[in-house]
Amino acid sequence: MSMRSQVYEWSNLAPTGSLSSLRRTTTDIAVAVPADREIDLFIGGYGNNITKPAETTATQFVVIEDISCSPWLNGNVQIRINTTDYFQNPDVTNMFGIPGLASPYPRGAASTLDGTDNLLKSFDLYPDVYVLPGQTWQILYTTRDGATAYSAAPAADAQVVSAFVKYTLYDGPDALIANKLLELGVTINPNNVDWYKRSLIEQQIAASAGGDQ
Amino acid sequence: MSMRSQVYEWDAANYSAAAVALPASGRSVSIFVGGFGNNITKPAETTATEFVVIEDIAVTPTTSSAVDPAVTATYRGLKVATIGTGVAGPRAYVQVRINTTDYFLDPDNVPNDGIPGTGSPYPRSVDFQPSFNLYPDVYVLPGQVWDILVTYYLASGVGNGAGTATSGNYRCFTKYTLYDGPDALIANKLLEMGISINPGNVDWYKRSLLSA
Repeated sequence: MSMRSQVYEWSNLAPTGSLSSLRRTTTDIAVAVPADREIDLFIGGYGNNITKPAETTATQFVVIEDISCSPWLNGNVQIRINTTDYFQNPDVTNMFGIPGLASPYPRGAASTLDGTDNLLKSFDLYPDVYVLPGQTWQILYTTRDGATAYSAAPAADAQVVSAFVKYTLYDGPDALIANKLLELGVTINPNNVDWYKRSLIEQQIAASAGGDQ
Repeated sequence: MSMRSQVYEWDAANYSAAAVALPASGRSVSIFVGGFGNNITKPAETTATEFVVIEDIAVTPTTSSAVDPAVTATYRGLKVATIGTGVAGPRAYVQVRINTTDYFLDPDNVPNDGIPGTGSPYPRSVDFQPSFNLYPDVYVLPGQVWDILVTYYLASGVGNGAGTATSGNYRCFTKYTLYDGPDALIANKLLEMGISINPGNVDWYKRSLLSA
């Protein structure tokens, strides 16, 4: 269990009277999301959150493989490692990141909340994004239009937005191998980590065979 | 028959056209022995001569919608939830558990509900395509107990909204490969060698034994 595929899904859903919660509940309703504000999916204070910022320990290595978000309401999703935004404009100024229209969640979603079209992805996160041991990472969602909250009276549909990240968590010895692969300039993925383990075993076998002679 | 591709499909209504009671929303239940829908006779476990590789899991998806359920009951094949929620579908998640350990964690290392059906939908369609693939696969070693747990949060987005469902409203799916007998031994050997366990690599190991 030292290489594990993981996902995190965020939505602007929280229990009545709260903007965010640590656990999903059966009575979650949509909360308003302000326009043009970058919201951390993990501890941003909107929707489902976790207990502390996402960070890797000294024995963890994270490879972010996919990010996507609701395509409606001009949603965007950005990756931040420590204080550095991954996606930039050509003039090296800040941007909101990948548009949901380019990387929709769910895949096949409509471009508007009541749409009938099916969006395909125009974007692949390749090369992957590495979060080295000891780094803090954030996934930031921004809607340019803002999303409206649930309203009981008059009853009207809330605007629910979501974002999604898929990553692989390397832990313990596999995180050390991931670091070694990074030094070697080899892409970090489960296949290459396995390849490195095999090469270590082969070296050991060769060394012990040499010692026997 | 020593490497076999297997699937298990769970239907919360046990394929009944009549309304069947669902588990309480927010409660995670086993698709094998959870007491709801179609179940099997005992928990899923591997014997000393079996090795299981779980390759895919999926559950009924959910989507945002701006449809009035009084006017349109379904959106993209999913039941539109109570007016105001802005959601169609059950808000369902699927988790893998090996012995007592949950596979999917939040970034703060707290176990979560698992993969959202929106990320790994079942069934797949043009409207709902996967954002997730289970890679690396999950290995169930000989002698381990494994389980697939499903949780849904939005009762009004599944079935008739009154805690019941009919066939197809809430489903889960898992695909795995069962290695048995000598092939399970080879799978263990590949695991020791740090080689991915799949039918191609098991065959490669057999060929290398034959040619040695």
